[in-house]
Formats: sequence, structure tokens, C-alpha cells
Amino acid sequence: MKHKHTKILFVIFVNLILLSGCSPIAEKNLIEEIAPVTFWSIQKGEDEKYRMSTLIPPLVKEHKRLLTVQVDLLKEGMKGFNLKYYRELKVGQLRMLLISEEIAKEGINPLIDTILTDPDISKRLYLAVVRGNFDEYINNQLKMQEDLDYYLYRMFKHYENQGKLTIINLHQFMKTLHSPAHSPVVPVFEASDENFQYLGTGIFSNDKLIETTNNMEEQIYQLIGNDHFLKYFAIRDLSIVLGHVKANSQLNIDKSYSELNLNVQLNGRLDEIARKHNILTSDELSRFESEIESYLEKQTTQFIKKLQENKVDPLQFRKYTLKPFSKPLDEKEWLNRWELMKLKVDYDLKIQPLTDIKN
Amino acid sequence: MLYFAIIMPVFLIYPYMIWMIIIVGILSQISIFMLSKWFNSMYASKGYEGFVEIFGERMVRLLAIIGIGFIFLKVIVIILGYIEVVRHFIFPSVNTNWMLLFILLICWYVASLGMAITIRFIVIAFLCTAWMLLLLLKLPFHSFASIHDLFPLIPYEWTMKSWKGVLFIWSAFSGPEYLVLLAPWFNKREKILKYMTIGNAFTIFEYLFIFIASLLFFGSHYLGENKLPVMEMIRYLQSPVFERIDMILISVYLFHFVFAISIFLLLFYGATRITLKKSKDQTTRLGFALSCAIFFICIMMSNELLWKKATNQNILLELEIWAGALTYLFVPLLLFISLKRKGRS
Repeated sequence: MKHKHTKILFVIFVNLILLSGCSPIAEKNLIEEIAPVTFWSIQKGEDEKYRMSTLIPPLVKEHKRLLTVQVDLLKEGMKGFNLKYYRELKVGQLRMLLISEEIAKEGINPLIDTILTDPDISKRLYLAVVRGNFDEYINNQLKMQEDLDYYLYRMFKHYENQGKLTIINLHQFMKTLHSPAHSPVVPVFEASDENFQYLGTGIFSNDKLIETTNNMEEQIYQLIGNDHFLKYFAIRDLSIVLGHVKANSQLNIDKSYSELNLNVQLNGRLDEIARKHNILTSDELSRFESEIESYLEKQTTQFIKKLQENKVDPLQFRKYTLKPFSKPLDEKEWLNRWELMKLKVDYDLKIQPLTDIKN
Repeated sequence: MLYFAIIMPVFLIYPYMIWMIIIVGILSQISIFMLSKWFNSMYASKGYEGFVEIFGERMVRLLAIIGIGFIFLKVIVIILGYIEVVRHFIFPSVNTNWMLLFILLICWYVASLGMAITIRFIVIAFLCTAWMLLLLLKLPFHSFASIHDLFPLIPYEWTMKSWKGVLFIWSAFSGPEYLVLLAPWFNKREKILKYMTIGNAFTIFEYLFIFIASLLFFGSHYLGENKLPVMEMIRYLQSPVFERIDMILISVYLFHFVFAISIFLLLFYGATRITLKKSKDQTTRLGFALSCAIFFICIMMSNELLWKKATNQNILLELEIWAGALTYLFVPLLLFISLKRKGRS
């Protein structure tokens, strides 16, 4: 019995120490006194290196406003926010990192490294490159839409892992950055006063943004490189829109690494056709299909050629040279071969027969 | 070994290490076979007396002193490694010595209940932690993981780093040799080979699973950049209810560490008694508390002076890799040979 008492006393004693301020935990996380931020937008500063902004407060019913600080160091910005706002900002809920195009072109490694070393920040953090002034967009839209940041996050979340748009989180970015091709991709958005819209896929070489895909390239990239599905495939030059296009691409690189064979099977239906046509007969349809095929072949070859010139490999072609029992090419060798590789692109399009239209 | 399972992928990196895990696992079966011979002999059940009969008292005392060193090293690496993880992911601003004190207090409590109860604690520890592996199942099936991350499967260059990887795997399989010291508390010794083989197979499976999952998740090139890959993988998990699952999992993982450290605390106490020629006396609470205090002071000192994870040249970890490998090689061999010699004479 006596023994039991000592145990209870001991527990009480330990709790007294912990509760009475001698606690070894230095950080206080009282919910009324902290504010989790959901995004950071980083742009080029005027005098200092970066201009960081975030929207506060993300949770409570209070008038939202944009906080902006000019800093040289990323984490200094975090401190700067805290000096400006009465709650302490926490990064545990950071979901999006929006980096301006100018910074992305100079290289984002210093930023990414800072983010990576903080264990509070999840590796699921979405990355995006922004063209234009994001702060102005937020300031303009804040009156219209209160929960702007949240809606943006939902958009990223929705398109993650389903094709259509390129959505990349920090972990995926790091994985491709470290793979021997060193060509990660990040979505590029354009911000204007009223609009914030998806532009295309930004192709990086190491940590520098090289170029952004244009409309056609973007669609080809989605079909070949990113989940192989497009809901609307608009081909403006031929005035048609294909719908629900599912691609099945097969890639072959020959043993001497001098030729790349890309076979893409497309299945879809014709959603819209804005020109004079006569495709209800099977002859006409197959002629029509082969017209689209040759057009796509040309465009894809152009796109891949462009990648070769830029010495990047965002479609991860290199991994097709890896085999279980053969020696992999080292990075330099691969790059040399990749530049000179001949391309052979072949599309095979199957359009579902049209119904319900009047010819 | 617990902590090694967390950091293992960093040491292996290359996909061909998959085969090495299997090969070393099969080799480890030889050690286990030799150990089982010891368990089946009549000396095992006698505990301390059995060892004295084989080696003589002086030799046993010498071995006990050496053993204390190994136990110390092992516990220091386990506990400081765990604290490192906790500090990185949960309490970045807490003094590590506090965590050390709290963990040792728990272990002291568990160990003070006696050897039999401490051994039974493994059931709780196992049930609390074994399911964690299942959580990782989801990760390799993300869209960014492709089978190409596992290629090439055969080595094209074999460097010092690869040798170190093999050493690390062997060291990671070590641990069963300490079971020898717990032999008197086991009651079914006939089937021990079967149980230990099952255990070994499970370990091979576990290591393979962790390694392949982390290869698919990180890719061979990014894997080497991470310090705690398994924890990073757990950190990536997300549940709709609670985001930081890793906090819960790391805390629950403490059960396993508490079990191991408690056992080692008791072994340390026993070994000290043997060295001081007190093995025939009654065990006392004071003596046990005193040995715990020594433990705490030693670990605290090595924490302050030697444990430097940041520089990537952690001398204690290096030592433990070697120590684990050596004990796992020589303890079964020594017991096996001395048994044979005893049997012949």
C-alpha cells in the first residue's frame, strides 16, 4: 500500500513540474494565439531579394488582408509576418508555394532547400510558378471572394493525380530533380487583375525554369507524360475538339540509343467540329482520322525536338533505357545521346462513330 | 534492429541491395542455427551457472565486462537515434536530455517489474507497432512511383559503399544473440529453431518491404539525400481527420524502444552484478536504481559529447554498425564451438 502511494505522489510531482511553467517545451500553441498560413507567394523584391506575401487570417471570421514583407531570406519573411500581425503565424498548414516566374528562371533551389529543412512543412506542398503580379490579383479579388486561398487549394487538390492539368507537390519535384534527367516540371499560372489561370507546364532544367509549354504542347504533354487523359483536346488548326481522349503510349528506345519510337494510341470521341465536313461515311472518317494523326505526329515531333534542343527530358524518356539486367547510361552520356536521338512518332487515333448529327 | 530499420534505406541506396538483404538474411539463418543448438543444450536453462560451467567464472566475468560495453553502445545508439527522430519531427525546441530522462524513467518502471513481465511486454510492443508496416503499403502505388526506380537490379560497380551496405544489413539482422542471456525465462526450447526461423524470415520480409517501398517512393538518387527516409514516408501519409499521422506513429513506436531498452537495462544490471561478484546475492531496488542512474549519466554524456548527427559522421553509429555485426558473428560461433568442445571432452 505504501508503495502505491509513492507512485501516485511521483506522478503528481512530475505533473506539477510540467504544468507549472518549468515545462521543457518552449513553444506555445494556444489556438487563439496562432494562425496557420496556407500559402506563401514569393516574388522578386524591389530592394531586397524577395517579396513574400500571404493571406491572413485563413480561419477565423475577421477581415482578410494580404500581408507583404520584403526580405533577403525566406525564414526572415516568416519572422516579418509575425512582427506585423498579432497572432503568431505557423507553417504547419502551408499548402501552396507560389513562386514568380522571374525567380523561377534564376533558380529555386535556395527556396526549396529552406522549405525542405523545416519538418513542419509537409512534402505535399503544392508548387506553382506565377506569371504576373499575384499580389494585385489577390488584392483585387479579396472583396469578391473571401476564401480565395482555400478555393485555390481545392483546385490543386482536385486535379492532383488525374491528368488534365499538371499538379506537382514538393516531393514529386524533388524526386524528379534528383533523378538523372534533372528535368522537373511545375505548373505555370498567369495572374492578372481579374484572373488567375492555368497556362501550361513549366519545364525546368535543374532548378531553373527553361520554358513554358504552349497550348498544343501542353495537351501533348498531358497525353504522353501525365496520366494520359484529356477531357477536351482542342485542335485549333483543324477546328475540332476531341473529347475524353485516353492515350496509351508505348515507347521504345533502340539498343544503340539512337532512335526513339513513340507509339500513341488515342481513343476518344469527336466533341465539336467547326468546319464543313462529311464524315458519316467510313471512308471519310478514316481520311479524317489520318489527317489528325499526321497533324499530331508533326506537332509531337516538334515538341520533342524542342526538348532535345533545350537538353531537358520532362517526359522522363531516360527511364525507358533502364533495364533490370543492363548497365544504365550515366548522366552525361545520356544527355549526349538524347540530343542526337532520331524521333519516330506514330499516332493511332480511334474516334468513336458519330451519332445524332445531321449531315 | 529497431533504429536501423528507420535509417536502413540511406545506407543501401542501390536497387541491387535487394538481393543483398536476401543473401545476408539467409546467412543470418546460420547464426540462428548455431544459437538454437545452444538453446537445446542443457546449459541454456541454467543461465549464469551454465555459462560458468562452460567458460569458468573468470572468463564469464571478463565476458560480462565486454558485454557491458556492447550493451551500452547499443542502447546509446537506439535511444539517441529515437530522440533525434522525435526532436526532428515533434519537439524541435526541447532539450534532448529531458526526453532522454523521460524515456529512461519509463524504461526503469517497466524493467523494475522484473524480467518475466518485461519479456511479456513484447506482446504489447509488437501489437502496437507491427501494423505500421501496412500503412506504408499505399505509398509505392502513387503515380510518381514507377517500376523503373528499381532498375538496374545487378551491380555494375562495387565500391566501399556497397561493402558498408552489406555490413549494415548484417548488423541490422543482429539482436538474436542477446536472447542467449534470456534463455532461463523461455519454457519451450524444443521448437526454438522453428520460432527463430520464422522471426528471421519476418525480418527479411520487413527489411525488403521497407527498402523496396522507399526505393519506389524516393527513387535511388533522391534516397541518399534523406536522413530519415522511413519517417519521411510516414510524414507523407495523410488522413482526412488528422494530418500529422507521423506524430502518433512515432510516439507509438516508443513502445518498441521501451521494450528493448528495459531488457538491456536488466541485462546491464545483471552484468554489473556478475562483474562485481555479487551474482549470488539478492537483487535490490537500490542497486537497480543505481545502475539506471549510471545509464542515464553515460547516455547524457555521450549525447552531449559524441552524438553529432548533423555532420553525417556519427562515430557512435559507425561503431554500433561494427559492434552489432561482430557480436552477431562471434557470439553464436563462440557458443557453438565451446559446446562442441565440451561435448567431445
